[in-house]
Amino acid sequence: MLEKLEEVKKNIQSEIKSVTALKDAEQLKVKYLGRKGIIQDFMKLIPSLPAEQRAAIGQRINSLKTEVTNIVDELLKKFSGEITSKATHEIFDVTLPGKRPLVGKKHLITQTIDDIKEVFARLGFDVVYGPEVESEYYNFEALNIPADHPSRTDFDTFYIKNDVILRSQTSTVQIRVMEKQKPPIRIIAPGRVYRPDTVDARHSFMFHQVEGLLVDEGVSFADLRGVLNQFIKTYFGRDVQMRFRPSFFPFTEPSAEVDISCSLCKGKGCSVCSYSGWVEILGAGMVDPNVFKAVHYDVEKYTGFAFGMGVERITMLKYGINDIRLFYENDIRFLSQF
Amino acid sequence: MTNTGLVVADIQSVEDDFCIDVEVTSNRPDCLGVIGIAREVAAVVGASVQYPKTNYTSTDIEVSKLISIAVEEPILCPHYTARIVRHITVKPSPEWMQKRLKCIGLRPVNNIVDITNYVMMETGQPLHAFDLDKLSDKKIIVRRAKSGEEIVAINGARRALFHDMLVIADGKRPVAIAGIMGGKDTEVSESTRHILLECAQFEPRQVRRTSKATGIASDSSYRFERGIDPEGVELASKRAVKLINDYAEGEVAHGVNDIRSGRYEKKRITLRIERLNKVLGLEIKRDVASDILKRLQFNILNEVDTFIDVEVPSYRGEVYREIDLIEEVARIYGYNNIPTKTSISVRGSVKSKYEIVEDSVRHFLTGIGFYEAKTFSIVDTSPLQSVNLWSDRAGVDIANPLRQEESRLRTCLLPSLIRTRIYNMHHGVEQARIFEIAKVYLAGEKLPEEKTCLSILADIDFLTLKGIVESLLASLGITSKCEWMAFDGSILFKADKSAKIQLGNNILGYIGEVKELEFKTSPCMVELDLDLLVKMSNFSKYFQMLSQYPPVLRDLAIIVDEEVTWASIEKCILAANISFMTAINFFDIYYGKQIPSGKKSIAFNLCFQAFDRTLKSEEVDVAQQMILDSLYKTLGAELRKQ
Repeated sequence: MLEKLEEVKKNIQSEIKSVTALKDAEQLKVKYLGRKGIIQDFMKLIPSLPAEQRAAIGQRINSLKTEVTNIVDELLKKFSGEITSKATHEIFDVTLPGKRPLVGKKHLITQTIDDIKEVFARLGFDVVYGPEVESEYYNFEALNIPADHPSRTDFDTFYIKNDVILRSQTSTVQIRVMEKQKPPIRIIAPGRVYRPDTVDARHSFMFHQVEGLLVDEGVSFADLRGVLNQFIKTYFGRDVQMRFRPSFFPFTEPSAEVDISCSLCKGKGCSVCSYSGWVEILGAGMVDPNVFKAVHYDVEKYTGFAFGMGVERITMLKYGINDIRLFYENDIRFLSQF
Repeated sequence: MTNTGLVVADIQSVEDDFCIDVEVTSNRPDCLGVIGIAREVAAVVGASVQYPKTNYTSTDIEVSKLISIAVEEPILCPHYTARIVRHITVKPSPEWMQKRLKCIGLRPVNNIVDITNYVMMETGQPLHAFDLDKLSDKKIIVRRAKSGEEIVAINGARRALFHDMLVIADGKRPVAIAGIMGGKDTEVSESTRHILLECAQFEPRQVRRTSKATGIASDSSYRFERGIDPEGVELASKRAVKLINDYAEGEVAHGVNDIRSGRYEKKRITLRIERLNKVLGLEIKRDVASDILKRLQFNILNEVDTFIDVEVPSYRGEVYREIDLIEEVARIYGYNNIPTKTSISVRGSVKSKYEIVEDSVRHFLTGIGFYEAKTFSIVDTSPLQSVNLWSDRAGVDIANPLRQEESRLRTCLLPSLIRTRIYNMHHGVEQARIFEIAKVYLAGEKLPEEKTCLSILADIDFLTLKGIVESLLASLGITSKCEWMAFDGSILFKADKSAKIQLGNNILGYIGEVKELEFKTSPCMVELDLDLLVKMSNFSKYFQMLSQYPPVLRDLAIIVDEEVTWASIEKCILAANISFMTAINFFDIYYGKQIPSGKKSIAFNLCFQAFDRTLKSEEVDVAQQMILDSLYKTLGAELRKQ
């Protein structure tokens, strides 16, 4: 009995090959699955089998039936489709537009911050956040910017009330982290910052910065150059050159402004780089001993570096965006480009 | 120059000469004069500076006979000098001087005023010339202003003066705000015959405070605020007298009336070579460092292989620590000659739970077609922007806003998303799905509470948005069930289509259809407490066994009173406590002819599946009946006959 079933299975496989039209498929169906078909004939034999075999054989017949039904249905479907399309002369136009699913995008500023996080995470930097509304102390005094000091002029600030301000830089997070934690420290702190600037194509009263800080024993300016070079080559491209220029920030000494070779003119000089071939992208330096003193670190034992960059600025440079306001208008035609 | 710290912003040719625009950082007041720039250039190129000439002839009359000087505040004015030139001719200054002043943006006035400006730009030391005849009692007193005093400054501004301001006074009244601006009454004019030339040093913070308080800033106050060379007074004073002698004729009175409290002590610092190399990551020898410091005019007192003792030039007030010397060496050595190290010690970095949640939320929402927006945290005080779902505390106002439109920290993100939606509508975007992750600011003790929220707005119906929230929560591994409670809508939502969402004992957020009438569509929006999502999220996962046995599905429709909520039906079904019921799926709500008024029909299906056996039809029947009984008893629900 079982051998016979196997034989039927084989026969079907060979018969499938000769099915070339709907008519053949229908014939196949009648032959095997019809009321007087081959499978029905097997079914009729079951009662005559020994009781202990009935269940097993019955199962085999059933599974064969399912198998054949599937095969036949497939064939019927295949050839009936052929007939309809041929009959109506409908030609499927593969050049019709595809039906696209809805796709959203992260804001370009988020993408840039994520790119920055990615580079620094690989170098062992943790991401930390700090409050946007801050005590003056964290924004100024602890960062070696005393009251009545001319360097405060470079940091115009929104005030909430006496002693409470909207942070004008993410450097505030440096102090908050160092107050809580002893070296080694390796962090970046992205976030919103605020300055009372009138809005135009280049200025906004709110923008984003990423601050970085690394403190340990034996950290040098050469390490700072190495870490920033790694960031620049990853974010802006392998062929971009880096340049350090001496500058002044109250919380770092030595301080530097870091330029990259203008990617638009390849250093030849254009309006983006004010014909200098270089564009400034961030400020950096070795943490000033006065900052370490504010958080009670041993200034002989530890050295460190800090850097800060404007997220909008580097994004605008990378993508050639000419107006900072585009970031906050959230025009979907803009957001969907990136 | 740019590579050693003085950025050359612009070079313009002016006739046969050049005007170089240099950006000077606030720590380098010594470079706020041509001589300072020359010193820098000399250090960079290895040349020496030629100082301007200060020779002149004077008469026999002593300055001290012509004017008496008293300094009452030696701390605020450590050094005051006066020189006198008599019988001068006030006229235009020479052409070459006018040309130079004009090209740096100064308006030529007359030879005396121009010379004081010229010498200030040359040396960085501010000077002021008084009309000697107009000084009462032949006296100069450097003192605090008395209450009730006032002054009209040269620029015409009338200012009341207060005790915390330092003034230059004659026998009767203030004639200058110290270090900031002279008075109109005593300024040099066409009719001036004799002048008193003030060249002094004022305390930087005092000048800055007074300049801010009076709202008067000048080239002079700019330099005093940053700190001038404590040894620079004499050169500037003599140089100015020389030029006055040359270009305004006149007779120079002999000597100087000079009041100085204490002597200036030059600072001495030790630079350790090992420290220098450690901080910079260099391996340079002592002689390289020492050569650089010499070029910068540091006086080398002592040097051995391991350290150098130096004396700092008086005009480099900001150099007072070893680290400052290290910077000096570094910038002349060249920042770009310092190696770029390519190795760094190992440190593992771990993503915080907050970051994981933030990333997951963005991933989830962008994956279903949402765009992320970033809107301003500072908003106006309109009723819409003032909505505060999270607290009944007042908003946090900015004390010095630029405009009324940006004067308060927001308490809710949704109004900004509504505006973003309107903005897009006006730019032809018909359907939009947007979200933002940002902070809201709720007034607190000292600093406000900063709560991170997630807000979503889309042109989709309430239940679709609710479904998105539910799936989002599931994606964050939050399995506890939310309670969705009817809400009055506030100013944001339509009252009959809004809800407060409770998760455990906390408010998770608010959801509803936008009340704003401007839309053609009926967008829905939700604001959620992201900090709470972070707290409740759970990313640990463990494999759940899949059942090998077939599920049994039962479609049911029940008739209940209209007020009966799905939540109560669901609760009632669960109360029947059928261990092998695996899902309840709502699929339809129906009001119509076949349903009595005041009632509704709710259709749903129940899924039964066991892990250990194929369920028998009879046991599912029993379970189903238990559920129907529970629904009947609790909610009066009746099975709808097909």
